[in-house]
This record gives sequence, structure tokens and C-alpha cells, in this order.
Amino acid sequence: MIENDFDRRDFLKVLGWGGTAVALSGCGYTSIEDGKETVTSYVTLPSYVVPGISNYFNSTCAQCEAGCNIMVRVREGRALKSEGNAASPINRGKMCGLGQAGIQAHYNPDRVQTPLLNGKAVSWDQALKEIEGKLNGVKGDEVAFITGTMSGHAQALLGNYMDALGSKNHFSYEAVSPAVARAANKKAYGVAMPRFRIDKAKVVVSFGADFLGAWVSPVYFSQAYAQFRKGNRPEGRGVLVQIEPKMTLTGANADRWLGIRPGTEGIFALGLINALGAAGVKVPADIAAAAKDYNPERVGTDTGVAFDQINKLAALLKERTPSLVLAGTAAEGYAYGSQNAMAIAMLNHVLGNVGKTVEAPASVPFPQLAPTVGSRSALTALNAGLAAGKYKVVFSYGANPVYSAPAAMKFKDNFGKAGFKVAFAQYLDETAKAADLVLPLDSAMEEWATVVPEYMPAPYEGHAENYAQVSLRQPVMEKLYPNKEGSGTRSVGDILLALLKQRKPEAYKGFDDFYAYLRSAVLEKKTVFGAAAKDDNDIFWNDTVGKGIVALNGVTAKLAGRASASELALPAPAAPDAAYPLRLIPSVSASMRDGRNANEPWLQESPDPLTTIVWDSWVEIHPKTAAKLGIVEGDIVDVSSKSGSIKAQAYLFPGIHPDAVSVPVGYGHEAMGRYANGTGANVFAMLDPVFDKETGELALNETAVKISKTGARVIIVKEEGPIGGSQAGRKKIAVKVSAGKVDLTKEV
Amino acid sequence: MSVSNLLENWSKFRHTHPVEDKGHPDWEAYPSGLKTDIKWAMAIDLDACTGCNACSVACYAENNLPVVGKEKYAHGQEMHWMRIERYWGEENGEFKAEQGAQFLPMMCQHCEAAPCETVCPVGATNHTEDGLNSQIYNRCIGSRYCSANCPFKVRYFNWYNYPEQEESWPAPMHLQLNPDLTVRTKGVMEKCTFCKQRTYVARNNARNEEREVADGEVQTACQQACPTGAISFGNLHDPSSKVAKQWAQQGVDIIKEVQDKDKEREKMEHEGKEPEKMVRGYRILEELRPYPSVMYLERVREESAV
Amino acid sequence: MHFSLRLFTLLAGLFLAAASYAADTAPKLTTADDLGPEVAQPIEFPHFRHAGDEKDGGMQINCMYCHTYARRSIVAGIPPVQKCIGCHQNIPSVRETPRIKQLFEYYDNNKAIPWKKVHDLPDFVRFNHERHIKRFYFQQDRPYQEVCGYCHGDVKTMVVARRQKSLTMGWCANCHQKDHPVNATSSETGHGPNDCFTCHK
Repeated sequence: MIENDFDRRDFLKVLGWGGTAVALSGCGYTSIEDGKETVTSYVTLPSYVVPGISNYFNSTCAQCEAGCNIMVRVREGRALKSEGNAASPINRGKMCGLGQAGIQAHYNPDRVQTPLLNGKAVSWDQALKEIEGKLNGVKGDEVAFITGTMSGHAQALLGNYMDALGSKNHFSYEAVSPAVARAANKKAYGVAMPRFRIDKAKVVVSFGADFLGAWVSPVYFSQAYAQFRKGNRPEGRGVLVQIEPKMTLTGANADRWLGIRPGTEGIFALGLINALGAAGVKVPADIAAAAKDYNPERVGTDTGVAFDQINKLAALLKERTPSLVLAGTAAEGYAYGSQNAMAIAMLNHVLGNVGKTVEAPASVPFPQLAPTVGSRSALTALNAGLAAGKYKVVFSYGANPVYSAPAAMKFKDNFGKAGFKVAFAQYLDETAKAADLVLPLDSAMEEWATVVPEYMPAPYEGHAENYAQVSLRQPVMEKLYPNKEGSGTRSVGDILLALLKQRKPEAYKGFDDFYAYLRSAVLEKKTVFGAAAKDDNDIFWNDTVGKGIVALNGVTAKLAGRASASELALPAPAAPDAAYPLRLIPSVSASMRDGRNANEPWLQESPDPLTTIVWDSWVEIHPKTAAKLGIVEGDIVDVSSKSGSIKAQAYLFPGIHPDAVSVPVGYGHEAMGRYANGTGANVFAMLDPVFDKETGELALNETAVKISKTGARVIIVKEEGPIGGSQAGRKKIAVKVSAGKVDLTKEV
Repeated sequence: MSVSNLLENWSKFRHTHPVEDKGHPDWEAYPSGLKTDIKWAMAIDLDACTGCNACSVACYAENNLPVVGKEKYAHGQEMHWMRIERYWGEENGEFKAEQGAQFLPMMCQHCEAAPCETVCPVGATNHTEDGLNSQIYNRCIGSRYCSANCPFKVRYFNWYNYPEQEESWPAPMHLQLNPDLTVRTKGVMEKCTFCKQRTYVARNNARNEEREVADGEVQTACQQACPTGAISFGNLHDPSSKVAKQWAQQGVDIIKEVQDKDKEREKMEHEGKEPEKMVRGYRILEELRPYPSVMYLERVREESAV
Repeated sequence: MHFSLRLFTLLAGLFLAAASYAADTAPKLTTADDLGPEVAQPIEFPHFRHAGDEKDGGMQINCMYCHTYARRSIVAGIPPVQKCIGCHQNIPSVRETPRIKQLFEYYDNNKAIPWKKVHDLPDFVRFNHERHIKRFYFQQDRPYQEVCGYCHGDVKTMVVARRQKSLTMGWCANCHQKDHPVNATSSETGHGPNDCFTCHK
């Protein structure tokens, strides 16, 4: 045998060869046709590859910020399917549908395959030269970089690049972000994102936190929820109460769903504190003072929840401790969203949950790798700068603000004012279309990266209390669009490195590519990453890449004393506007999220869990409201706010407050790809520009709308049958039993 | 004459009754000492199920299911082998949302006395020796009788030539297709196979190592994805498997058409006695006597807490 | 393409299935040749030279020296080019022959050889090499040339391999319903599985 020192990356290239040949076997037809198909063959092959047997490569999911650890099944050079990495404390071998669809982001037929300058294909060299040319003579503060939530070494490189340009204008933007919650948590607990131990709580009261669907780290919380529901847990089976105007997936799984009047969550929380005080729970004086006017009767009137239910909930919370109270997207999307979140957080203090189910988190000991969590206020700031003509060169990566900014912000026009716009893009989406230069990105199956999860999981199976992790992403197959003759895709790390080399050639000349940079950066800190100083670099690196997870001794933040509740001031619920009598709640679904994954057809065809609608937007209306307006299911209605309007099919939905209507976000792309374009309507565009007073976040739920029939009517394309959610007299299809009637303690 | 041969041997395809007849296990095919008696079965805990659809998408990824698009979906031509049904509580004909919605993952129940099997004119669907309800695509002639006779409506018909004419996998998406199973073409019926390709690999590995398939060795795609672990899958004939323990503990016996616990409960209710605390396993449409291989566990909710 | 499937469906549905299940009337296991088409390969690989008997100028190399995955995977596999080079770099006598020059050209350019499939089963069939090799080569201790030859014919006499058996379902089933000793010494017999689902995927 020849000793051939192919390393792993060469091997991937070789596998790519076989990959194209074997592509036929999955979908070919049937008859015996000797001599027609090519058989899988390789030039050289590591011993762990056996044709016909799959290999699994550990990596990290890129579909949302939770950063689940995955393993990708690879056979004959093709990535086939993602599974969860069982060793991960985040997702523990499990995955959500959104994560599963990541493979369709990789194989998507609408990916950008070559750099585009003003719509024309150019080579990478030309593209990079163009950037350098445009940056020539531009001052640092005339450059802006907008990204989604980032973390890891690519973020560190971005920081270095911005430093090299002398710019401080990195805007981290997420269309749907827990930014208000993080600010409120900081005030209430001293940390932005504590560990919420759903698995330890006896009662969970969630104000619109859709932790099973789209909130923060859904697969992690789903596992905690499964623990919480176990009858044989020491704490006993948990009770979930969800308080929100529009039922989320979490609300659909609650023991009691309370459809509250939109925006009155904070009032409800103070009412609950008041009721707890009346029931004999010791309430700190400042909180008691803030809550004193909120007696159950008044709160009942304001929130629309019967006051005896408030008392019953208080009794339950008093009896069963520890409990856990969560504030989520629905409670925070108001001009006084921070106040709402603060009032809700006070409940955890009153109930003594802080330190029990609200724990101090640990974080990675490298601040430059820790995630920069995106927010809406970042977009507001960028937009102001753009409107003032402040920026000459604007970069965009992992964000699609042209799509997700409210039309009233005039972001697209302002974006056009920037002299030169560069979009790092996987699709030619709205923002990439509006850019001058488009740089095609690798998929998450093709790139090297380090990822720090936005929500650090609690220790799992023998981990230390200060457990923190960095996850690795590795290419699991050869690039679909390799770098040939200047075309092809590149990873964000490689692009940033190339840009940095233009600025600081000396400092980065040692790194051929981002892989080399990443490897050396990790090895430099290998003792922090869990290796001994004497350990062999190659062995340590291969082991680390193989595992995909680096466990670290994290830095434990301390829960600090809370801010005083004396500043809590909640406005009385606003009287409805006669012209716009309904409240619009843009809903965030588990699969569509903010719309960045809308071009993955599995997600379009996967029915929305609650309405079972596929391939379109819809307007959820309470049956009573619909009856008043003469609307029936399938009516195309016009939903108009002061800032815009959309047309969509009406769906009568019992899980919504009669004063509210709800439309899912993420649909209605004008540009992205064949599956996303023209599917549904973009509700982001019609939002009123109302902002949270403290954090400056866009108040997603502050848009008042009116609804009118257009006269058109369609048959809604949905999974449920014509009788909707009825079991039609059948006794035993989906059966529900009262907790008191079953014995759960002995269950296997 | 071939057709007469087929008819003569008809009974070989058929079960008579699941109580006595385990299909036609072909034990001679196995060397002595390895007579692995396998009956694949599933248990789905509706209390843990959150309705998140991860199982359904995982099934698309594993089993080469075509995405049909809005128009065909509207015609009822969707191909999801695993679907989540959503039900509401009802009161006076109105849907009630106070206790949330209720979700039910539904896929082929791999009935022991499968209604689909008896009506197939060509024997394209029949029982395997490991207790699966099989679908042999290239034997299927597309009569759709099986689908008509399926009480669970979990069989999906290929109305179109998805890979070629409908471009369900535009390049390079076809590279994602799982080579362990075919892409079905126009005119054939398909349905959940309990991830046959995965059980096949597990059995193959077990035979290589001259042992039985261990519990947990096979996970179906839906089970592996499920974020709350609501689905368990395994060999019902192995008393140490989780799924067998669950079935036993929940008082559901695969060969019974009415479970003892249900008889008992009915009797007590008839006598006006309050039934004691019960276990929550049940099979859907058991009264039709298809003897499904999937047991569901009732969703539990606190009625009076708030 | 599409037609051929429908035709195959009918054939499989009626004739083949009937033949396989009608045990009494089934013809004996056929070993008659059912030659497939001649397939042009990128390199005219002389099987007889490598695997053939000594008297025919062959080197009697075990089939599984090159098709090494047969005993551990569902596919037997075509050896990586590296495997060919492993031997041939040490055989200077044939180094300059046209076929070996061609071989080295592929290797030096890091290019896989686009071999054509000779024994091409329909995509709906799951044929597991490993199981058959385990059963006949390891358990029954039969000679490898015989075991591989059950399905592949007498490859050791061929230049470029050519299909000799029909590889139809009836042909498979003929063997599957026959009794075979379970191992080399036992008198106990067993036959192959006859569950449709085992081979149809």
C-alpha cells in the first residue's frame, strides 16, 4: 500500500467525486439496465468509509440560535439526514422540524452560486477587489455591518475586521428576538438569561413564552417539559398555565390556557401578586406597593380573565412551590413591554423561585466568542444612520432587514442611500437583491465554525455546575458549488479572513483559510478547552472535531439583587381605536420563525400545528368576532393598519382573544426562492412603528387594525378535515383524562 | 397458469386471526439458536406529545417523501406518512380552548389483522414475519382498495410521477434522497413502514453478532427526532423492552379485541361504582378489531387547578 | 423509463410472484447462463488474470481481496484506485502496458474511474452481499469462487465481467426456497427469507 497522507479535507474532495456518481441510486428507476449506471468508486478511501454504510459527523445546527448539536448522516459523500447528538446537553439526541429541514438549506436549488456584482457574475477576486476599492478613502464610521445573532470565531474575526476598518458600527439584528426579556431579566435577576429550570418546577406560569415552539431554545425546553410532565418525578407531575392573547404551541399544551386581553399581562401579574399577598404569601414592600391597586376585580375587568381564576391560580402557586414564571414574546411586544416583563419577573421573587427554578447561568470564558444577541433596536439605529446618509459602505450577513423591517421605517429606501452595499447571502433574498454586491455563502453543512449557544443549558449527566460549551461545525461533505475559476460559495469565516488580509496582510498571512485560523485559535487556548498542555495537538483537535462539543469550565454569573419595583407603572388598557378596533398579533411559528427558512419546502408543507394550514398565511379570528363581522372560514380579508395592509384567508380560531387577530410572520417573501416567493403575505411590513419605551425594541403587538371582507373566498388548504378539530362522536381518538383519575407514579 | 397459482396460494399471504396466527414466520430461514421472535410495536404518549411536527419532518427526511405543493395538498394528495391531527375540546357544538388543543400523531398502525391486507387484489400489502404491514411498491397496481378500507386513513397514493414530472427534488435536492429505500413512482400506494430500512440494519447487525436485537437499537426516524421522547418503539415479544413493559403496564394486550381493563371499567360503571385510578393506554378504533400495533397513552390534564 | 416500470410491475405482480410462491411447480434452480449485454468499461479489466486458475494464467486472488466490502456491507464495492496501485507499483513488468498506464493516469490526476455497473439490480431491491457471504462463505465454508459465482457466474474466466444469471425475482426465489445446510458440519437445513419486505425496499 502507498502511504498517502490525505487529510480529512482532501478526503471530502474525493468523496465528492463518488457523490455525483451515486446520486442516481436514490431516485432512479427500476428495470435492470446493465452498463448504464456508474458505480461508486474512489481514488482513495479512509478505512472508516465503507460503501453502503453511513458515517455520522458531529456538527452544529444553524437553523436558529439555540445551536443544537447534531450529527449528520453521510453516505457515499452525500449528507442525507441530521439527527441530534445524544451527548449534547442542549438537545440530547433530539431535533425539531426546523432543524431537520437544515439539510434542505444545504441542497436548496435556489442558492447563490457565484459572486454577483450588480446582478452580473464576477469572480471572487474581482468581488474582493471591488470591496477594497469602495472602502478606499472611506472613514471607519462610514462603514456599517449588520448581522444576525453571531458567535464564535467568525464573530471574533468580524470584530477584528471592524477594528481594522476603524468602525464601531456592528449592528446585531434579529427580527424576532428576546431582547426585551433580556433587558428585563438583567433588572430583575442581574443576568440577561438565567437558567429557567422548568424540569424542577411544580407549576409553570408562562406569559406568552412559547418555549415548546419558537422561544429561545425550544428543543432544550421541550426535554425539560417532558421531565416536568412525568408523574414519577420527585416533584410530581407539573401544571402548566399559559397566559397569552393568542394561543401558541405551548399554550396548546397547557393545563389551563387563559386568553388574556392583549397587553394586560403586566396588570395580570400585579393582580396575581396582589392575590398572593391576600392569600398570605409574604410580598416585599416595594412590590406590594406596586401591586396594591390591582385587586382581582379590577384586574379581572382589565384583563378579561375571571377574577376567581386569578384567586385560584394564586392558591395553586401558594400551595405548590417551587414554581416558575416566564415572560415571553407575547407579553413584551408593547410600548410598555419592559414594564410587563418586569412585573412578571417580580412574581418569581414573590414566589421565592429565584435561586430555585431561576438559577445563575454559566457562560463561556471568552467574551469575544459569546453570542452577540440580535435586537430590533439595532435596526432602528442603523436605519437612522442610513436615513441621514451616514454610511458609504454597508455589509449585511445573516439578516434580511429589507424583508423584516416595517414599511413605515422606509428601510429599503434608506438602504439604497448607502453608496455600496455588500450582502453575504445564501439566497437572493430581499436584502441581497437590494445590494450591489452579493457574496455567496456556504451552507452550514459545508463550513467550519464555532458556535456558542444563545441559551446555555443546565449541566447534564455528570457535568460541573459551571458547565458551558462551545460547539463546532464542520463540513460534512464537499461543497456543492466548489471554488472553481473564481466562482462557488465560501464560508463567512473565509470571506472575513480574505477581507482582513486586504487590510492586515502581515497579521493573517499565516492562515491559508478560516479552517487554519480556527484550528490555531482553538489550539492556542487548548488548556481552556479541556486539554492538558502536553497533549498532542492533532489528537486533541481530531477528538474535539469528532465530538462537536467542547465542555468548558464556564464563568458563573451571580444572580444580583433586583431593581426596585417602585418604578413599575403600567398604563390602564387602552380604549380601542374606533377606526382600528382590533389588535394585530404577529405570531412566530416553530417552523417558519422570522422567515429566513421559508424556502425549505418541508417547512412550507409541514402544517402549522394549531391551524394545520400549509403553504400560505392566514388571519386567526375568534369565532365570535368573525360572526360579528360576517366572516366565515376562507374569506379573503383585508387587514389594514395605519402603516399598511395585507390580504389573507380568514381562519376561525378558538384560541385567540376576541379583540385580537393574529397573522404568522415569515411568509410573503418577494425574493428568496421558488418555495418562498409569493407564498402568503408579509405581516412585518404593515406593523406600526411603535417601540418599547425602555429598550427601543419594536413593539410587535402594538399595531391596531381593522378587518374587512374583500368578497373573495377560498377553500383553505389545511390538514384538518371539513369538521375542523371535532372528533365527530368517536369516543377514543385523541383521549384526554383528568390527572386525578390516573395513576402516573408507576409508569415505565 | 400463473393466476390460478396465485389464487391457490392466496392463504399464504393472509392472516386468519392474530390470536393464533403470527403471520407466516419463516423460522427455517434462521439458523438454529437465533429464532428471533420479533413483533415491532410502538407506544405514543399523548401527554408528552406537544404537536411540534418534528416527527413529521423527520419522516420526510428519512423516507424520501415528496413535497406536493399547495395545489395538490388542496386535493388531498399530500404524502406525509406521519401527520399530526389536532383536536379541540367541545361543548355545545363549540370548540373550547381553555385546556389547549389536543394533538395526535397518526401513521400506519401496522394492524395485526389489517383491513388493508384483505382487500388488495394483488397481495401487494401483507404481513411480515416481524409483524409489519408491508407495502411492496412494484407489486402494487394502484387499485387503492387498501386506502379505502383503512380506518386510519394513513395510506398515501402517488397520483403523480413526483421525481421526474413534478420535479419534487429539483437538483441538487435529489442528493438528499435516502438510498436505503426507493422513491415511489406514479400509481403506487405507500405508507409508514416503521422505518423498515432501520430495523433491517439492526437485524442484520444482530445476526452478524449472533445475538438478538437489543432494545433501543432501532429508533424510528420520528422517535429519534421527538423532542419530548413521546414515542417508544421496539420488540413487543421481548418482555424486557421498554415498549413491551409499557404495553403490559398499561394493560393493553395486542391479541385482545377488548382489553380486560376496559371490560372491568365498563362493568363498574354499569354497577354505578366509581372506577379506581386507571392506567391510560388505549388503541385507536380497537372496536373495529384491526389489532393495531400502536398503543397511545391518554393525555393527562389537571381539570380543577385553575 | 416509466413504461418499463409498469411493465415490470405487471410481470412481477403476476408471473414472478406466482412462480415464487408455487413451490410444487417451480422449476429447479437454474444455473443456466442468461447472458447480459457486453459492457464497455473505461479500463478493460482482465478478471481472468487476477482471479483465474493458475492453469489459465490467473493468480487465484480471492474476489474479496479487491471487492472487500462484500463481507461487511450490502454492496461488494469497487476497490479504490489506491488498491490497484498498491500492487501495481511493485509490478514493473506490466507498468508500461496500455491498461496499467491508463490506471496510473487516473491515480495521478486524483480521478475516480467511472466503472459501469454490470450487475445492476432495480432500485427497489435490497440485495445484501454481507448476508450471503456470511451464510455460504463463512458458515458453510464453501469456496469463495463458488459462493460469488452463484450470482455472478464464472467471473474468473472473463475479461470484463458480464452478467451470466438473470437476477430476476423468480431466479432469486428459486434459491431462497431451497434447503441449505446451516453450516459446514450440521445436517440441519434452512432456507432464505421469503418475506417480500426483506428484499423489496
